[in-house]
Amino acid sequence: MINNEAEFLKELLAMFKIEAEEHLKGISSNLLELEKIQDAGEQTPVIETIYREAHSLKGAARAVNLNQVETLCQSLESVFSAMKRHVLAPTPEQYDQIHAAVDRVGQLIEKPDLEIADVLQQLGRLEALSKEPPQAPAEPRTAEPPKSAAPEPDSSGPEPPPQPEAPAASAAQEPAHQANAAWNAEKDRSLVSDTIRISTSKLDSLLLQAEELLASKLTALQFTKDERDLVTWIDAWRKEWEKREPELKAFRRDIEKFEKNADGRAEAWFAIHDFINYNYGQVKVFESRIQAMSKASDQNARGLGGMVDTLLQDVKQVLTLPFSTLLKILPKIVRDLSRDQGKDVELIVKGSTIEIDRRILEEMKDPFIHILRNCVDHGIEKPDDRRKANKPAGGYISIIISQSSGNKVDILVSDDGRGIDADRVRASAVRHGVMSEEEVRRLSDAEARMLIFQSEVSTSPIITDISGRGLGLAVVREKVEKLGGSIALDTEIGKGTTFRIQLPVTLATFRGILVEVSEQTFVIPTVNVDRVIRIRPGDIRTAENRETVLLDGKVVSLVHLSDVLGLPRRSRRGEESDMLQAITLSAGDKRMAFVVQGILNEQEVLVKSLGRQLVRVRNIAGATILGSNKVVPILNVIDLMKSAVRSSAIPTKMTTTEGTEVGKKNILVAEDSITSRTLLKNILESAGYQVKTAVDGVDALTALRTETFDLVVSDIEMPRMNGFDLVARIRGDKATADLPVILVTALESREDRERGIDVGANAYIVKRSFDQSNLLEVISKLI
Amino acid sequence: MIKRKLKTESGAPNTDAAQDPAARKRTDILKSRAEELAVELAGQEDTGNVIEVLEFVLASEHYGIETNLIGEVYPMREYTPVPGTPDFVMGLINIRGRIVSVNDIRRFFDLPVKGLSDLNRVIVVQTARMELGILADRIVGVRTVQTDTLQTSLPTLTGIRAEYLRGIAPDGLVVLDVEKMVMDTRLIVNDEVE
Repeated sequence: MINNEAEFLKELLAMFKIEAEEHLKGISSNLLELEKIQDAGEQTPVIETIYREAHSLKGAARAVNLNQVETLCQSLESVFSAMKRHVLAPTPEQYDQIHAAVDRVGQLIEKPDLEIADVLQQLGRLEALSKEPPQAPAEPRTAEPPKSAAPEPDSSGPEPPPQPEAPAASAAQEPAHQANAAWNAEKDRSLVSDTIRISTSKLDSLLLQAEELLASKLTALQFTKDERDLVTWIDAWRKEWEKREPELKAFRRDIEKFEKNADGRAEAWFAIHDFINYNYGQVKVFESRIQAMSKASDQNARGLGGMVDTLLQDVKQVLTLPFSTLLKILPKIVRDLSRDQGKDVELIVKGSTIEIDRRILEEMKDPFIHILRNCVDHGIEKPDDRRKANKPAGGYISIIISQSSGNKVDILVSDDGRGIDADRVRASAVRHGVMSEEEVRRLSDAEARMLIFQSEVSTSPIITDISGRGLGLAVVREKVEKLGGSIALDTEIGKGTTFRIQLPVTLATFRGILVEVSEQTFVIPTVNVDRVIRIRPGDIRTAENRETVLLDGKVVSLVHLSDVLGLPRRSRRGEESDMLQAITLSAGDKRMAFVVQGILNEQEVLVKSLGRQLVRVRNIAGATILGSNKVVPILNVIDLMKSAVRSSAIPTKMTTTEGTEVGKKNILVAEDSITSRTLLKNILESAGYQVKTAVDGVDALTALRTETFDLVVSDIEMPRMNGFDLVARIRGDKATADLPVILVTALESREDRERGIDVGANAYIVKRSFDQSNLLEVISKLI
Repeated sequence: MIKRKLKTESGAPNTDAAQDPAARKRTDILKSRAEELAVELAGQEDTGNVIEVLEFVLASEHYGIETNLIGEVYPMREYTPVPGTPDFVMGLINIRGRIVSVNDIRRFFDLPVKGLSDLNRVIVVQTARMELGILADRIVGVRTVQTDTLQTSLPTLTGIRAEYLRGIAPDGLVVLDVEKMVMDTRLIVNDEVE
């Protein structure tokens, strides 16, 4: 913790140096310009700038506890203020003195314990000049042009200008001058810092590219996995070989024994045996190569993965910005809001130099505004009410930002208003139908107050155009949680309310769980996943027409993810089909269990948009590309919960699915075009058939060997093995000789039709005249 | 050495051409040819109403899209359907790490989806504000179409909304007004869950 603090101060100091360098440059260059300008009217804006720069520098120095710098700046500020009021017009010598003082500030930043008494004295003298009756040449022509916007110099710093220490000054004067030259040289080295300005768009593109590397990393991992599979495959082959080898050897011995009466045929057998041995040798070579390759690709994937992770982390570090970039817009918002409401509110901000990922800052802008609105609208009372409660008429809101640990930032937004009345929240929740009166009564005060983060709950008795609609805080919570943070609430009636927000400093790489639903793969954000469960159908209870399960003693509603997404239900085939696999998701304080077909694995994913046409799709948050290059949609859990509430209102047909599954006819579709394949699959599935697909004739034959089908629908033109050959092979095999086959084709010639019938197809449908009722009719005739 | 040689060579023909009548005649011929070529080019630019279109087949109809709106043509190997989208959105494809949505324009045009088609190609249409894929069975090639020969309406043309029709070429090529089509807000999916 102390280390962190020290580390943080160091970073802060580094930042201050960069800032200071800019201010000093500004002051110096403008001073130079000022000296050239003769006309007092033209001088004014330049002095204004110098004054502002000095003032900012003073403030910044105070923030990093550089007292000497602050003191010197204070002195400079007073001089500039005098110049601003046109009561001081420095002579060239005096300008030199000012320049020297400015230079000294630069040196001080590098070496904070440097002596400054001499410059302070000089500046003090300069300032004293201004207090004497105005000298003639400085300001006779123009009347003083007052700048109303400029802050009064005296109000800016509460500390009085420090008294220069006279005795040390005169003695130090000469050496200080010599020191100046030396310091100047050093300044060039140290203050021309190693910082450059880069446009954010360039950095964003850098981040984007670094993130894209994540895909390469995932692909590399996929390759190693594939190669490892190959190795196990060859292992299986070797085991089989070892089993058969003795038989082969025995066979050869037998043949050798009968060689004499085998009239030369043994030679042929030996040749075959030699060929088998040759094949064995070749596969062994293949095996060792694959093993070496698998190892190499494993190393490569790990190396690449490490580099990509480090690079991504570094680039994210580069993309952090201080909170001040966001916070500077807030004071005006608070001022405007409080004025509208006839309230007097002061905003205090601390820790605005702490840095955080720029994307988080952007996302947090609205939540900040919502919270502040909430504070002004609900928290701070009207001045009269405050006086009655023995509080100062003016309220305050403070935003305090601190870095709590390596990758976490704490934000406290507090007001000294009336606090949040749990009973009023309860009443509002009941009024809006979020909870029943009884449910509300069972909540503790703290639990009840958390209800304000739910949409539709508001404590405001009237709806204003800024808050009270009960949406704001729900959105705040959603945003904060989406960013991987958390929000909590402290309140004391009559004393005030504090929102505690914890945010990550950089956006973590998105992790997701891959699930299978209706034979499609989807990604669910890991942050939303509570746990994975298995449910016995008998444990499902129905309450108010909704299915529920008991989890950790709590009733959780259960829906089929396929129903929510509008996809056909599909249960896992095989021995486990009586157990349902489900995943419990949470968003905000809602929790729900979703039945899925299967859970594949968890991995890092790179979130991408769905393109420009699909701006927002319900239930889908985006998409990602897996290591296998496949596009997979990412589910939007908040949407899913909303959709689930609607879809479960429709009576579920849970019991019927299990029943029909058994009696379903099984159809194999062989078609090389992905669209036609999917179309056929959809048509057949919606007609109640169970469908399996194959990409060509060879694929179809393999499927036919491993599973039994009631009918085959096949395209004619396919790579590797066309439809005619497929039909011929099906007819040639005893097991499938009677299997009905429908050929679907773009070929329309009579010869083709005849050939189709020749090879033994049961029906022939031309794609041009294809329509689904036609196909279904033919199928229903055949099976 | 070389420099000097170049100098003499570049200098010589000019002076020769000025004096030798054969060379002068040669120059004249070349000059007139060049002028002819130049005139022809200028004349083509003057007509200015030729557009270049990519011709493709979709369910045995021939369509054309102006090539300047086409980013690329991509083979359709695999796509991912997205639940909750209108049925003209077939799904998503991955074009070198970029995700692009693909559309079956027959469904968007409310054309009867008659006949199974292969839909093996995706034509990626790009405008300043939109990028999307249009499915095609087969790409025929790039050709030019004279805009003044385009017929803007044809009673026999079923289904296609006139608004997306640039016109029909004499040989029956249906030239689509893709720019107008992608501006159609009905094409954009922006769906909230209430």
